[in-house]
Amino acid sequence: ANLWAATPITVKFAHVVAENTPKGKAALRFQELMHERLGDKVKVEVYPNSQLFGDDKVLEAMLLGDVQIAAPSLSKFQKYTKQLQIFDLPFLFKDMAAVDRFQQGPVGQKLLTSLERKGLMGLGYIHNGMKHLSAYDPIRVPADAAGKKFRIQTSDVLAAQFEAVDAVPLKKPFSEVFTLLQTRAIDGTENPWTNIYSKKFFEVQPYITETNHGLLDYMVVTSARFWKKLPDEVRTEMKKAMDEAIAYGNQVAREQEEKDRQLIIDSGVTQVISIGEQERALWVEAMRPVWKEFEKEIGADVIQAALDANQP
Amino acid sequence: MGLRLIHRLEENILAILLVFMTFLVFAEVVMRFVFNAGIAWAQEVTLYTAAWFVLFGASYGVKVGAHIGVDVVVKLLPAPLRRWVTLTALAICLVYCALFLLGAYDYISLMYDIGIEMEDVALPKWVALMILPIGFMLLVVRFLELAWKVWRGETEGFHLADEGEESMQLAQELKAEQASAISQTVAADATKDAQEPKS
Amino acid sequence: MTIGILFLLLFGCIFMGMPIAFALGFSSVTTILLFSDDSLASIALKLFEALSHHYTLLAIPFFILSSAFLSTGGVAKRLINFAVDAIGHVRGGLAMASVVACMLFAAVSGSSPATVAAIGSIVIAGMVRSGYPESFAAGVISNAGTLGILIPPSIVMLVYSAATEVSAAKMFMAGLIPGLMMGGILMIAIYIVARMKNLPAQPFPGVRQVLRSGSIAMGGLMLIIIVLGSIYGGIASPTEAAAVAALYAWLVAVFGYRDMGPLKNIPWRHAQEPLARCLGRNLWQISWAFPKSFWDEEVRKVVLDSVKVSLMLLFIIANAMLFAHVLTTERIPHTIAETIVNWGLPAWGFLIVMNLLLLAAGNFMEPSAILLIMAPILFPIATQLGIDPIHLGIIMVVNMEIGMLTPPVGLNLFVTAGITGRPMTWVIKAALPWLSLLLLFLILITYIPSISLFLPNLLG
Ligand code: NA
Ligand code: NA
Repeated sequence: ANLWAATPITVKFAHVVAENTPKGKAALRFQELMHERLGDKVKVEVYPNSQLFGDDKVLEAMLLGDVQIAAPSLSKFQKYTKQLQIFDLPFLFKDMAAVDRFQQGPVGQKLLTSLERKGLMGLGYIHNGMKHLSAYDPIRVPADAAGKKFRIQTSDVLAAQFEAVDAVPLKKPFSEVFTLLQTRAIDGTENPWTNIYSKKFFEVQPYITETNHGLLDYMVVTSARFWKKLPDEVRTEMKKAMDEAIAYGNQVAREQEEKDRQLIIDSGVTQVISIGEQERALWVEAMRPVWKEFEKEIGADVIQAALDANQP
Repeated sequence: MGLRLIHRLEENILAILLVFMTFLVFAEVVMRFVFNAGIAWAQEVTLYTAAWFVLFGASYGVKVGAHIGVDVVVKLLPAPLRRWVTLTALAICLVYCALFLLGAYDYISLMYDIGIEMEDVALPKWVALMILPIGFMLLVVRFLELAWKVWRGETEGFHLADEGEESMQLAQELKAEQASAISQTVAADATKDAQEPKS
Repeated sequence: MTIGILFLLLFGCIFMGMPIAFALGFSSVTTILLFSDDSLASIALKLFEALSHHYTLLAIPFFILSSAFLSTGGVAKRLINFAVDAIGHVRGGLAMASVVACMLFAAVSGSSPATVAAIGSIVIAGMVRSGYPESFAAGVISNAGTLGILIPPSIVMLVYSAATEVSAAKMFMAGLIPGLMMGGILMIAIYIVARMKNLPAQPFPGVRQVLRSGSIAMGGLMLIIIVLGSIYGGIASPTEAAAVAALYAWLVAVFGYRDMGPLKNIPWRHAQEPLARCLGRNLWQISWAFPKSFWDEEVRKVVLDSVKVSLMLLFIIANAMLFAHVLTTERIPHTIAETIVNWGLPAWGFLIVMNLLLLAAGNFMEPSAILLIMAPILFPIATQLGIDPIHLGIIMVVNMEIGMLTPPVGLNLFVTAGITGRPMTWVIKAALPWLSLLLLFLILITYIPSISLFLPNLLG
């Protein structure tokens, strides 16, 4: 216990990315808004770059009461709830607009409460963007991916996704991906434009296929115990500030995505391939077994709601 | 006899953990290049093995004097004072262990309550974390043992590892070898001299 | 206040003779309990995270294992033979060959005292026999031995990577040119002294002999090709390369060189043995030696030695990460950096202060301990002043080299004293002129970043 300071409520917001990323900016905006509105009543501290805990441990630290807010990527929740695996399903959402419709709709909002049994509360979704395939060879149809080694985040769905097209999923730490790509120890990755640009993956990947095949989003979470203990007016203000910060972060994310995509195309070191409706249909066909495989855990109604969100 | 068996067992477990990690990472490389495949659970298992290796080994390190430290200052102290300083240091080490045991208890209780599994292995996480209390309990045992010996005057302090001293072993082996080689050559020369008729 | 208590606890514990790992851990935990709201549980969690979430850290035990298999007297002798055959015929050639042997041994070993011990115990006596002054021989070797941690693979560099999350592969690349350069500086100095003092040269044994001893030494030297080659040639990450290196080192030591294990003293080919019989015999012997080597006492000893060093280092690192955690949450490096910036201290000025600090620390602590305590403090400051993290790492490693040669705690001095049987004061005096070269080299490295950064930048 801190013997010297006695602030009423301290909120530690821990994340694993730099401060100039959409998520980093959203965290800082939240801190700003809270200070503006509640003054010294609540002290928000932001810890970027895994300074406090990495993505794997931050949820545990949150349950212990040592971190109040975090925003891990959606795949990190697979051991806490099976339902959020919906966001890893490949070729389910057509574009970011569909994702937004689903997340803001009743089913998406209900998924925010899917962690409650494990003591966590979702506060909202922060975008990073749609994922695309990058590789040493051009990939247009599912058969092009066969036999290639792709780096994935730890996630059963993502492993199944590559296995569905006879590709080889490899779990590797994000920090080692560049070297492994450069040396061709792995053939490709799946990442949103922002990661491909900021980690310079495009410099070592001659082809990027704009597949929009999956989503890399974050969920802002807090501990249920902490959330319920907050005084009502603080909780209301905090939720409002968080909603605004998330909206701002998502705005930044969209701009960043567009900007980074253009920078990659302009760099000329990599060729960006677009796929048409016909090719996309082939991928959807190849991936349908993956949806089926996880349907029981996720819920057929949830998957249907996501598919419905593709129609504006 | 029993003690020696435990010592040997401790060493074997540590050696096996290290060798297992090495082979597992090597196997991953081979799988990737020769069979164009991955081992999904390899990374997580390697990392947890490393944690078990270190936490299980920390107390062994105290026993065999593998930890490094600075003893130039304590060595300047008169013997009776040095004994008390060492006992105080050992008490601090025990406090350190106690704090971690308390922390580990809370942490593991929480993990037990929420009951989540490891990412790639069908094992509850709290089981994988049990090495925390095990490792720190073993440390407590070793520190108490050491404190008893210091108290009785059988030993003077922590046996801190000395890379210099270990390197000297290598030098001594080489010297011994050379000495025997030289004496052999001398002997050979002598016999040659004796056999060859002098002109 | 927090800074004061943290460091008071840390150095208090260290000077009481506590192992550094526990001193780091205890001072961190106590500071956290006193000054923050963190729970004990989250500290236990943090320690476990430090041990189980850093894949790159695993390179450390693997490299230690590979070094242990190849840091043997037998390997040292082969490298010395090759070096003497290759450049012994130059004036002062035996001393220069000794430097080359140290550089080569450094390339398979991650440790400096091991380099001094292995090479020094053979060549110092040899040089004295050939008419070199003993103090000259001892001074050269104790200095050239420091290259063990500058020429990759290097345990100290891995520790730096662990403390700062700088890529270990890049650190290894960065050490290569400085290592060759320092070896070169030593050899030039030897040549000048040899000219002045008219030191002897060895007879040239012929190109064939050079090739022959070179190919024999190759078994050990392949290690560096495997390590750097597999990192940059597209085979593996540093951790994987280290695991491959460890297995390779085991194969070479036990089945190739046969310096240890079940095949020890069994030659590949007996005199006048027919080729077919020799092949058959080796095939048979290797196939039974393979399983047997797992139970072999000598192999077991090498593995256990590596176990001790590995767990010691990894346990310190885990506790140092707790220490760094405290530094971060209490924003200590940030505060120091602000102070420095407020003083208006430029990067070059900071580098002087840093070098003096590290040299002072090098007097009484071991390299890995210094790095683990200092890197989390110096790194953020240096980054803020625009100093490249890899360059910073190399500066720190060169400082650690010098620390090996400064009393009262200087590992290379101890080993040299042990080999020569001379008192410490004699060894210190013998090493002093060569140490001044190392200091000059430190200035070069500090103020010409491209020496360190050329290769890593070139290779991305
Ligand atoms: Na080395
Ligand atoms: Na020193």
